[in-house]
Amino acid sequence: MWEFAARSLDAATVFTIAALGELIGQRSGILNVGIEGVMLFGATLGFIVAKNTGDYLLGFVAAIAIGGLIAALHGFLSITLGGDQVVNGMGIWILGFGLTAYIGYSYTGPLGMERLPDVAGLSPFFFLAIGLVILTWWVFSKTSLGLQIRSAGENPSVTEVSGINVTRTRYLSVVVSGMLMGLAGAIYSLDYNPVWSVNFLLGWGFIALALVFFSLWNPFILLGGSILFGTLWQFSLNPQLILPSVLSRYIWRTVPFIITIAVLVLMSTKWFSSRWGAAKPEALGLPRKDE
Amino acid sequence: MKLGSYEVKLEKKAKVTGWEAATISLLAILIGLALVGLIFRQAGVNPLTGYRAMFSYGFLNEFGLPLTINRSIFILLCTCAFIIPMRAGLWNIGMAGQLYGGALGAFGVALAFGARESQNPTVAPGFLIALMMLGALLGGAVVGAIPGFLKGRFNTNEIVVTMMLNSIVFWLVAYMIKEGGPFMGGGGEGQGFTLSQSIRPPTALGGPFTIPLALGLAGLLYFMFAKATLGYQIKAFGLSPSAAKYAGISPQNVTLLVFILGGAIAGLAGYHYFAAVPGVSKIPLNYGDFGDLSFYGIICGLISMGNPLVAIPFALLFGGLTNGGRFVQGQLQLGYGIDYALLGILMITLVAFQYFYRNTVVWKKMEREQ
Repeated sequence: MWEFAARSLDAATVFTIAALGELIGQRSGILNVGIEGVMLFGATLGFIVAKNTGDYLLGFVAAIAIGGLIAALHGFLSITLGGDQVVNGMGIWILGFGLTAYIGYSYTGPLGMERLPDVAGLSPFFFLAIGLVILTWWVFSKTSLGLQIRSAGENPSVTEVSGINVTRTRYLSVVVSGMLMGLAGAIYSLDYNPVWSVNFLLGWGFIALALVFFSLWNPFILLGGSILFGTLWQFSLNPQLILPSVLSRYIWRTVPFIITIAVLVLMSTKWFSSRWGAAKPEALGLPRKDE
Repeated sequence: MKLGSYEVKLEKKAKVTGWEAATISLLAILIGLALVGLIFRQAGVNPLTGYRAMFSYGFLNEFGLPLTINRSIFILLCTCAFIIPMRAGLWNIGMAGQLYGGALGAFGVALAFGARESQNPTVAPGFLIALMMLGALLGGAVVGAIPGFLKGRFNTNEIVVTMMLNSIVFWLVAYMIKEGGPFMGGGGEGQGFTLSQSIRPPTALGGPFTIPLALGLAGLLYFMFAKATLGYQIKAFGLSPSAAKYAGISPQNVTLLVFILGGAIAGLAGYHYFAAVPGVSKIPLNYGDFGDLSFYGIICGLISMGNPLVAIPFALLFGGLTNGGRFVQGQLQLGYGIDYALLGILMITLVAFQYFYRNTVVWKKMEREQ
């Protein structure tokens, strides 16, 4: 049972860090539905670098760098070229999915390195995730940088007039957001499940995306949601451990995705938006019109 | 920006002409292919040699060409499934889930009438083939109806819902064909049962009968968008949902309808590859690869700007490129997945080139300053 809880928290770690990344980007007004693609880049490149150099640290650094780079590409398409952010994100996802299938294929199989050490039976990244949650909350609610990012996501025109460079703020947020997504991917491929195969994130990025909506852009709710989805996912891998012979494990695999759809539907109802709609960044996903 | 005696400026534009669109698409494809050429180089293969090998296997080889055509028809059906919602301004990227749904529908019908291999179906084979196709259309339509309904009723983002459904139906298929699921085939290899000989569908001119069917369907869709009331309503809704509403078009109905139609056609793509293409006749172990292949439907739909007839040659091109790519990666000792790399790179180039649908490059000769 302890083993199950620990693995659930490991899964939750990946969700938390990836979703925090998405949250930071969305707070500045940039929606990235290609989070799965960015994570695939981080996971694959991190895996390859770690395997070739035998150094975990270099793997994580590479993952963070490529995550930032791919997110910058999304930023370029969405901020500078001003295209539809959802379409651009879809492009980023398919780019990540297609290119990493090619790049990583010859590395199919286990990482074959000594596992990263545990801290009190948990992945060290779990503590990093909690630290990042607190840091994100602090930046957004206590610092002027956080206020600047939030106002870029709420009302870019007014922000611009008040002397803040919205474009620069958004680029900064998007790149940081991609670095976290890349890191989350590498935690998946180097710590949680160090075996590479094609498209091996199995939709975790999309779950992380939904978690951001679920969290109402609040890092602490996001942490709670991640733990819920991490537990669900872990349960779906081996449901017979807890509920023997209740539905196949393949059926359980669909549950996180079904809940995600349910959450999205709930959030798009009038009932919901009239109560908590204000939490959503006002300018999320909208191209700038004031230029 | 100044280049010599010319001034280059970007200007917003409201409308793209057919020729402009064709130029933009062609340029995007060429740049995409050039970028993949860099991958060839990096793998130590001359890009020209690589592309020549891809094209000659994909289009000129007696074994390669039939495979190319089967793939192209699959891509064409996925493109049609993408185009119908696209004309209504909606994004269907759930062709993967919808074609899995179609496969489940078709094979469910086959199973219900005892059409496993080494058994004889309980009804006339011709009738059962028609029923299986109906099952495929229905299976795809059900999966498609979900995002259509949710978008129309609650305005839930259809892109995220269709992405989720791709995963959900993927696992449903795994449940059906693996580990003792109801569709599991003999041998315990984790693939679906094989259809009995009598209901492998007829061939037309040596290929599966779904080839003329898909081409006819593309023609029908073209006619629908060009001449029929329904096509007009879909287009009107795509151009301006609020204006369409005042013209008496129900947004909820149009949204649901385009996704049901798209889903049904994607379901037919599943029937085509798993039941009608000779030598498959089952839901194979690697059914996920076909879900991945369905994303070429997005590329094809974007390039053809929603015109189903224009999509036909592009479907053929991508069918040949992916098929040839799979062949050359073995022959030239490239890594696996050159067709995946091509998919990813073409997708992002096309997305980036959408910019030129909204903006135009203007060259102006500057007056010489004395």
